[in-house]
This record gives sequence, structure tokens and C-alpha cells, in this order.
Amino acid sequence: MLLYTMKRLLQSIVTVLLVVTIVFLLLRLLPTDYYFTEEQLIKLTDQQRHDQLAAAGLLDSPFVQLFRFYEDLANLDLGTSRRIQHGVPVTQVIGGKFLVSMRLGLISLAISLFLGVVMGVLQARYKDKFGDHVGTAYTVFVNAVPTLITYSLVLVLGARLFKLPSMYSVRNVARSSILPVVCLSLTSTAGYMLWTRRYMVDELNKDYIKLARLKGLSSRKVMYRHVLRNAFVPLAQYLPYSMLLTIGGSLLVERFFSVPGMGTLLTDAISRYDTSIVQAVVILYASLGVLGVFLGDVLMTLIDPRIRLISKGNTR
Amino acid sequence: MDMTTNNKPGLHPGGGGSAADDLFTFAEYRHAQAEFTASTEYSYWRSVWRNFLRNKPAVIMSFVFIILFIFTFVAGVIGNYRYDELRPDNKLIFLFPNDEFWFGTDNLGRDYWSQVWYAAQTSIKLAAIVGVGEILLGVVIGLVWGYVRSLDRFFTELYNVVNNVPTIIYMTLIALMIGQSFLIMAVSLICFGWLPTARNIRNMVFIYRDREYNLASRCLGTGLWRILWRNILPYLISVVVLRLALSIPSTIAYESTLSYLGLGLDVNTPSLGILLRNARSYFLDFPYLLIFPAVIVSVITVTFYLVGNAFSDACDPRNHL
Repeated sequence: MLLYTMKRLLQSIVTVLLVVTIVFLLLRLLPTDYYFTEEQLIKLTDQQRHDQLAAAGLLDSPFVQLFRFYEDLANLDLGTSRRIQHGVPVTQVIGGKFLVSMRLGLISLAISLFLGVVMGVLQARYKDKFGDHVGTAYTVFVNAVPTLITYSLVLVLGARLFKLPSMYSVRNVARSSILPVVCLSLTSTAGYMLWTRRYMVDELNKDYIKLARLKGLSSRKVMYRHVLRNAFVPLAQYLPYSMLLTIGGSLLVERFFSVPGMGTLLTDAISRYDTSIVQAVVILYASLGVLGVFLGDVLMTLIDPRIRLISKGNTR
Repeated sequence: MDMTTNNKPGLHPGGGGSAADDLFTFAEYRHAQAEFTASTEYSYWRSVWRNFLRNKPAVIMSFVFIILFIFTFVAGVIGNYRYDELRPDNKLIFLFPNDEFWFGTDNLGRDYWSQVWYAAQTSIKLAAIVGVGEILLGVVIGLVWGYVRSLDRFFTELYNVVNNVPTIIYMTLIALMIGQSFLIMAVSLICFGWLPTARNIRNMVFIYRDREYNLASRCLGTGLWRILWRNILPYLISVVVLRLALSIPSTIAYESTLSYLGLGLDVNTPSLGILLRNARSYFLDFPYLLIFPAVIVSVITVTFYLVGNAFSDACDPRNHL
């Protein structure tokens, strides 16, 4: 197991490095004018701009820059921001943002996991009854209607009927977080509902459930003790992934409600050409993604001892 | 399966015994009988069609979808204003829907009716192009990826690398470096969209790749493409159809998200996302700016989603006969 973990981690590091290298080189394809604000472009002479770029080492060939970047990375130095917060270390810029995203994300994850699983179980238990159809209609609605429209509807309803703030504000965090959290949970609840129901229905047809019923277990006990435990295994696989990704934030929700989080940081950084922030954020996203998948696999083996990550003997 | 009786003419029980040639003679080859399997009446697509028609709600929905789609073309003509003749007019801003402006006017005083229908049409066109492109590329590459073992490593690594970077990064870079237009948008969405489809197909191919009938087929010298096309793809049709059906609503959603963020289509190509982006600051006070595009696009995506699901069920051969 230890050997397997080491191998997986090593592979992940290679993937992350590959990803950041690609992004690094892609960023260097853009003309150097992007390094300046429009104001600077007008004010500074060509010579001044040239000097500034040369001083920052941005005129060397991309590969020289790449190796310098690797060196810094080995020293755990992610560089400083150029345009978003001039001269501030990247880690500090990110540190100020990711808590905002993570708080919203974790709250809505908790809500949607709870609601989604409970509703999914109820749907499976009362399959083909009225409630089940309502639930299915809800999942179809969320899946088929563009998210942007769903968010807009939530915004209009929330702001007009409940007089909730339509923009996130630092002064009134609790009240202004309600609509973003509702938006985030609304969509992911549907996902958990759909899959819980699907796995539960699959499990319900198996023999051990018939045995449990014959033993005289109550329907509720069968549902929660037997079926849900088995049905939850495939769901658990994605849990660490979605927990870690809350750090990344949701781009659309954050832009929609002007939340100062990680989601907007990435696009801002790219469009304002803050290369060191883009690279750091990419490393963060990629590592979180890779780590999330790995932790998901581990969690799955913990919940269900029948699953093994290392194959025994010869399998195809 | 009537093979034994077909071979009867070739058998001579108890004849001679002097040489093998006397005992066994070649059976007469009849092409029709060799190809004869089960029910002659069975045709795959006809069964699909029959199954689909049996699902009444889906048939009704597909009518709704088709009529709406055609109407996006008609609407521009019957409205009081042509889309390309719209001019900003300060005196006409934020008029509620009335006789002249059926969907009201926007913040610049332009007719909203023509904008909404034109946007819906753009969104559907983009989604259709992207959906089909994604599926074609995804299915072809997914088949090869799953079947040819030596390519598995390469594509898996490619998938990991592309999948681990938020697509937003690529889209932003493309918007900055190449620009924004309908064509660029379509091509880049296809470029990033085929991977999940290919991955899905690859996992399905793994299930069928080493079945005995394929082993037999390989031993008989069947070529790569024929195996993929005739032996494996037919198993995957309902999956492919389902992915296509889901890809169109999700492309419409994704396009609106990207355009809302300013990374999708350019401002002069109105699409759902651009309309909602322009309306974002105003639709709390003028809800009609949200309601008309929202209802029209939602009806389109929901009907397509349900029809696609129904059609995919009809494609599953297990529901036939």
C-alpha cells in the first residue's frame, strides 16, 4: 500500500508539473504589452517598458524563464503578484481569497450532501410514487436548464420576495451569503439526489435485501443500515474531490454575486496577465484535483473493504 | 438457427468408408442461408423508431422542440424590427412589453423580441455544431483509445493533463490570443469537449474488447476499423445518443456561462449569455428582461433533454422485440 501511495503521488507530481509547464509556455506566447496597464502603455516610453521587463527577467527566452521558475518552485517560492496587488507575495494574495470561497463551498456542500442523500433515499423508498416524480422533475430541471438562468431566477426570487442582498458584501457576510449558498446547493443537491436514487434502486433489487426483509427488519432499518451503506460507496469516491474543490470556488456564482473569492481571481489574473498568480492558481487547482481523486480512492477502500487498489494476482 | 438442416445435403451416413472424400462432401454454399439468423423482419433503426413513437410524451416534446426551433427563424421576420436594423434610442429605454415591442425594450431602447429569438437561434446553432463535432471526434478517438492498448497510456496522460486544468484557463487564453467569434468558440468548445466523451467510450470499449466474438473475429483477420465499426460500435449506440442528447443542453448552458463571464462569444453575436449579462443589472427592476429569454431557452433545453433520454432508451436493443 505504501509503495502504491508513493507511486501514485510521484505520478501526480509529474502531472501537476506538466500542467503548469503547459500553462507557463502558453502564457509566454502572448505579446509583452499585456504586462502593462493601459495607463502605463500610454505613459511609459518604449525604452522604459523595455527596461522594466528586462529587470524583471521577462525578456529572456521562455525556456530560460521556465528553468528559473522551476528553481523558485524547488525553493517553494511562487513569486509576487505584478498587477492584481503589486509586489505582494502570491501566497498572501491567495490566502486572503480562498477562505471566502471555501466557507461558501463547504456550507453548500454540507447542505446539498444532506438534502441530496436524504431525498435520494426517500425517492428510492417511494419509487414511482408522486414524491419520486417530483424529485425527478427537479433533477431534470436543474440538469437541463442552463445554470445561469437558474441563478438569475434565484436572484430575482430572493431579492424581490425575501429582500435579500443581491450582492455579496464584506460588511454583512451572513445575509449576503444566503443567495450564493442557495445557488451552489441547488445545483449540487440535484446531483446527489440523482445518484443516490440510482444506486439505491440498483441495490434494492439484490438478494441480501430480500434476506434482510425476511429477517423482519423494519423498512427504515433496511434502507439506512444496509442499502444506503452500499449505495454510498460510489458517492464517497467523489466526496474528497468536491471538498477540496470548494477551495477553488465557483467562478459563475462568484462573478454573479461579486464574491471576492478564488473563482474570480483566476480569470482576473489571466485577463490582467498576472503570470505568477495564474501559475500558482493552476498548481493549486491541479494538485487539489489529483489529490482529491487519490483521497477518494482511499476513502472508498476504507468504507468498503471489498475494494482493493492493488490488484491481487493476475487480472486483465 | 437452422444450420444443422442446412448441412444435411452434405452428409452421407453410412456411405462407403473407403476414403474420407466419400464420407464427406462439401456442403452447397447458399449465401442467403449463411447470413440467415433470427427474425428476418428485424431492422434496428425501424425498431428504434417504433419504440420511440410509443413514448407519447417524448413525441409531443419533440414537436414542441421542432416548432420552437423553426419559430426562431420565423420570429425575426414577423417581428416589427429586424435584428440587424436595431439602433439604440434613448426615448425608448425599458418599455414594458406592448403592441409594438412584444418583449419590451432593453436598456438601450432596442427591441427585445428580435434579440431574444436571434440569441436562441445562435445558441441552438452553436450547441448543435459543438455537440455533433464533440461526439464524432470523441467516438472515433474513444474507440481507438479503448481498443489499441499501446495508445492507452498516451491518451490517459493527455486526459489527465487537460482535465486537471480548469477549461476556463484555456478559454481565457484563447479569447486573449485569438479573439472571440462564433467559429473560434465552436472550435475551442469541440477541442475541449471531446475528451470526456472519448473517455466514456473508452471505458465502454474495455468491456467488449476481449469478448470471445471479438477474439474470433481477430483470429479470422478482421481489420481494426471493421472490428471497431461493426463489432463494437453497435453496442455503444445508446450511450452515444445519450451523450449527444445531453451535450446540447449542456453546451447551451456552458456557452451562456462563458459569454456571461466575457470569455465566450463577442458582444455583437447575441446569445443567451450575452443577453443575460447585459440584463444582469436591470432585471431586478425589469423582470421581463430575464423571463422571456429564460423561458424560451429553458423550454428548448428541457424538451431536448427529455427527448434525448427517450430516444436513447429506444436505441437500447434490450428494449426491442
